[in-house]
Amino acid sequence: MPMSFPRCTRPLLALLIASAVALPGQAGERGGPGTGPNVFQGKHLPFENGFRVYIVSNMAGMGAAVDMKEVMAGTEAGAPAQTNTASFADYEGRFRSLLTQEANAAVRGARLGGARSFVVGDAHPGNSFGNILPWELDSAVVLVRGFPRPIFMISGLDSTFGTLMFDGAVASAGSKGILPHTFGFDAFSVNGKPLNEVAISALIAGEMRVSVSMVAGDDAAIEETRAMLPNGFVGIITKYAVGRQAGITYSPVRVRQMIAAGAAEAVRREKAGAFAPFKMDKPYRVEFTVQSSMSDDVVGQIAAMSGFTLEKTGLRSFRFTTESARQIGYLIDAMQPWVTR
Amino acid sequence: MNCHARIPRAALVAATMLVLASPLAAQGTGRGAAWGGGGAVPVTPPPPLGDADTLPPDKYFGVTENDLARTKLEKLVKPGGFAVYIVTDMEGLAGVVNNGREMSNGRSGNSPDHQRFRQELTDELNAAIAGARRGGATQFFVVEGHGANNFRNVLVDKVDSAAMLLRGWPRPNVMETGVNSRMNLMMVVGNHPNAGTPGIIAHSYALGGPMTVNGMKLNESGISAFIGAEFGVPLGMVSGDDSYAAEMKEAFPSAEVVTVKIALSGSGGAMMPLPRVHAQIKAAATKAVQRAKAGQVKLVTFSKPYHVAWCIRNTFAQPVYEVMAKPQGFTLTPDTAAGPRCFTYDTNKAEDIGTIMNLVEWAALKP
Ligand SMILES: [Zn+2]
Repeated sequence: MPMSFPRCTRPLLALLIASAVALPGQAGERGGPGTGPNVFQGKHLPFENGFRVYIVSNMAGMGAAVDMKEVMAGTEAGAPAQTNTASFADYEGRFRSLLTQEANAAVRGARLGGARSFVVGDAHPGNSFGNILPWELDSAVVLVRGFPRPIFMISGLDSTFGTLMFDGAVASAGSKGILPHTFGFDAFSVNGKPLNEVAISALIAGEMRVSVSMVAGDDAAIEETRAMLPNGFVGIITKYAVGRQAGITYSPVRVRQMIAAGAAEAVRREKAGAFAPFKMDKPYRVEFTVQSSMSDDVVGQIAAMSGFTLEKTGLRSFRFTTESARQIGYLIDAMQPWVTR
Repeated sequence: MNCHARIPRAALVAATMLVLASPLAAQGTGRGAAWGGGGAVPVTPPPPLGDADTLPPDKYFGVTENDLARTKLEKLVKPGGFAVYIVTDMEGLAGVVNNGREMSNGRSGNSPDHQRFRQELTDELNAAIAGARRGGATQFFVVEGHGANNFRNVLVDKVDSAAMLLRGWPRPNVMETGVNSRMNLMMVVGNHPNAGTPGIIAHSYALGGPMTVNGMKLNESGISAFIGAEFGVPLGMVSGDDSYAAEMKEAFPSAEVVTVKIALSGSGGAMMPLPRVHAQIKAAATKAVQRAKAGQVKLVTFSKPYHVAWCIRNTFAQPVYEVMAKPQGFTLTPDTAAGPRCFTYDTNKAEDIGTIMNLVEWAALKP
């Protein structure tokens, strides 16, 4: 909830992407080449047999949630000491558990559809990317949590996975969705085409020949993602946006039913070859505008990041060209620690 | 609704004003006593107005988008069923007397009583849904109308799973978001008596007294019904204290009215046992749906153009008041005879009044 943090209204979304504990200056293991060599980039998750599903759990897009205080712990970087602990009790006391149950519903559905190996990535910055309760999670799941980590939206994804699912998606920065944002950007496009967080992740996954089969989120996010990912997916609308922090919401029980059914259908259709990896023409011409809540000083530091050749195209806008979508992921990793600052 | 029970800036302004000019506290009605009676509130100068105060309401998604909300809600109503539109508030719940710790998290940032009364809100709401279902209703759209915790007080994991919630803030027409002609019946749970009425936590939005439409006083529920009536949605069931019950019986004679407590002051009263209240709400909701289906719930309408009059509460600091006095897109007529902060507005569209009240809330509560 913005009022508990410095610089309120516009940077609302900054907070969402918030919260790496480490400071940008501490580089080293941050994830991207912009911050020096990273020994973690080449790591793989243990191989498992059977159809593998990677589920991105993104709390801001989960069912029922509409407000920052439901999806942030209040202890993230940038939050002042006098945070409203009772409001954050919604995060601690209800929404983390509901989030975990949603992930379980996706796993249950995917299993019904024929999947046998499950990874859930906790991709939301609340509590430093540690929102899901490991002790309430389906016992078959390998959970990816914490920050930093390489390409944090889909850390550990590789070509052994059969499909990628998003629960839940958020609409891009500036759109009429619930808690809309796109990482730390006010605008982001590849080859002139605007991409949201799901589509950016889908592009990186596409290079690993993994396609997106299910996206759950608010109506604005689903509609927008349909336009961005022409190869289709099972879309599950769990809430309808009627304000930036307001929505018409289904009960969590209904949401879990919808997500389980959607995940089952997604795996079946994926196995039947209904979806194709998302691809764009190379080289990728990436253009972005840094979100307005970041200071000029930070914009200067972003401009000077080593490892990326950024061309400044405006006061807060940059362009870079790359042959590898992973580089986009590393760029987002490298910027993440500044997002709340 | 309690329009200044939660946000530090607005609340500090309000709390400060309360100490400086405390006729409200002295009346003991609880009105405006944002933090449970002004005595302990330190006198702090209002913080400077920040960024948010210069942001026009239509630049913030959710303040003015009535049509978008209505279109989305209409699509969710399944034809052939019976849809109930339930407005919820908290001041009129069974057991509630205190506008401070019971109605919001208060200054400490944590109030177990507020959390517990969120459960009571959910219990009374579930009773209304269960009763309505028994009467033949098939869909339940629930409006979060109480301002504390950013209009998110119903416990999402405890509410009847058939309900859809309209929750969060800012949200267009916050107590009547998206109401439309596909709704069959309106109900109100937990609302409170009008400003100036001797009842528990009596108030009306951010107003200093009752709003009138064509000279008739309407409390918050009355305003919701006034707007709902324009879409043909009658008011079938309400619950609150005895003072509120008397107001509602007079204005809406065909509505079922549940009295959950007897006011003995603005912040004290005799509480009916909670289980009894839940049973009564359930029974009343059943009866309301059955009577609505039999065409026995009358739509209360007013002649057009509506002549609407209200005064802004005098506890709001001047800069906040000035925004309230000029709701974006509306030109109000000052009514100096009625008071220095009084206005009239003539319109053929009841929903405009909801929008104006929403803009007044926006001035007080901006994120
Ligand atoms: Zn209220």
